[in-house]
Amino acid sequence: MEAEVKDKIVSIEKPELVAPPDWKPVIMGILCNWCSYAGSDLTGTSRMQYPPNIRIIRVPCSSRVDPWFIIKALQTTADGVLISGCHPGDCHYISGNYYARRRFLVTKELLKMVGFHEHRVQYSWVSAAEGAKFAQVVKKVTEDVVKLGPLHLYKKENFSK
Amino acid sequence: MDYSKQIQDIAAKLFTDGKIDVFVGYRMNGFDDNQVPAVITDPKEVSTLVFTEKSVFNLSNYLKADHTRNKRVGLVVKGCDSRSLNLLLTESQVKRDKLYIIGIACEGVVDDKGQKVQNCMECIIPDAVVYDEILGTPKGKKDYIVNADIKALAEKGLVERREYFEEIFENCIRCNACRNSCPLCYCTKCCIDQETATIYNGSNTSSSAFHALMTWSLHLAGRCVDCRNCEKACPSHLPLHLLHKQNEKVIFGNFQNHLAGVEEGDRGAFYKYSLKDPDDFIM
Repeated sequence: MEAEVKDKIVSIEKPELVAPPDWKPVIMGILCNWCSYAGSDLTGTSRMQYPPNIRIIRVPCSSRVDPWFIIKALQTTADGVLISGCHPGDCHYISGNYYARRRFLVTKELLKMVGFHEHRVQYSWVSAAEGAKFAQVVKKVTEDVVKLGPLHLYKKENFSK
Repeated sequence: MDYSKQIQDIAAKLFTDGKIDVFVGYRMNGFDDNQVPAVITDPKEVSTLVFTEKSVFNLSNYLKADHTRNKRVGLVVKGCDSRSLNLLLTESQVKRDKLYIIGIACEGVVDDKGQKVQNCMECIIPDAVVYDEILGTPKGKKDYIVNADIKALAEKGLVERREYFEEIFENCIRCNACRNSCPLCYCTKCCIDQETATIYNGSNTSSSAFHALMTWSLHLAGRCVDCRNCEKACPSHLPLHLLHKQNEKVIFGNFQNHLAGVEEGDRGAFYKYSLKDPDDFIM
């Protein structure tokens, strides 16, 4: 089930960079405690398969996600980021995801301008009952990131070979 | 646009009436025809105050400094400066009854070569929005223009944009002048200086510049008033306005024509929401 990496994958933003043969994408998933995290739990208990490239972090609400988290994930290790919360209107804190939605749009547009493919950072609404949707979303994000190639965001300075 | 005489008179009167302890204005720098901010506590120094189209800096930045804290302050603000001052008032950083604000109906400031700077060409609200008295004739609100640099960048390809910004992040020397010169960056402890990740963020690398500039601009999104104090302070002359103008464009276009600091009591675009906000990008 792990995302299959064919040989010669180049980074879409920096075509001169070729992924090493053993490269596997790392995706950071930031999930809201009340809907998406429970949804991912349901995916597991229902024995549905999804790619293990995602590393999940649980937050109280999608509005807890500061744009800073996304920047930090991209700066350090992640090749892609998935943020997921409750559907609009279903927020445990009544209006958290409406505030989050505004920040997501601005973050997405800024990253696009700075030269990141828009599939690097993706957003989804997954409720606690949508285990199948969560598996689908993770599968789609992983496939997208494999197509985009490694991020190589200035990593050469931090992790010198 | 020369209000030097009026400002000197007002400042002298405020000092004799005992209404203020400190006056923040501009004076000549003593070398050429450029100006520097002047923080005056002695009424005799009032005659050094000037205000022309070379008065470029945003003086509301000086309200967070120690020499004006908890004192009664007289202040000169242009249109953009007054918007940042409005935000500082809304965010309870300064008290309105301790301020005497001289608003300017601004006609735009010029750079070293005498040319009108870009943000004044695209200025939407040239008149001061918060003031005790206003100098000049107010001209009212203008139409929103999308920044020319943002338009040009949007037409470029992904690879080209990435290269362009990588160069910007490489040229950043992480001196934090942009943050310290910003009137709205008043946190005593900033998250981009956090101690747990000094291996990445303490050093002068393009990785840390990416982290610092992007985080900084996203934390100012919906609050930035485009005064460009950061650009004037940047020793590497980086085009920092690109990050802010992009956020401003997205916010103005999608969130009911929101502009920071124009209305009293408005905390910024991220402190309110609408049920009609776009979410077609969310799966």
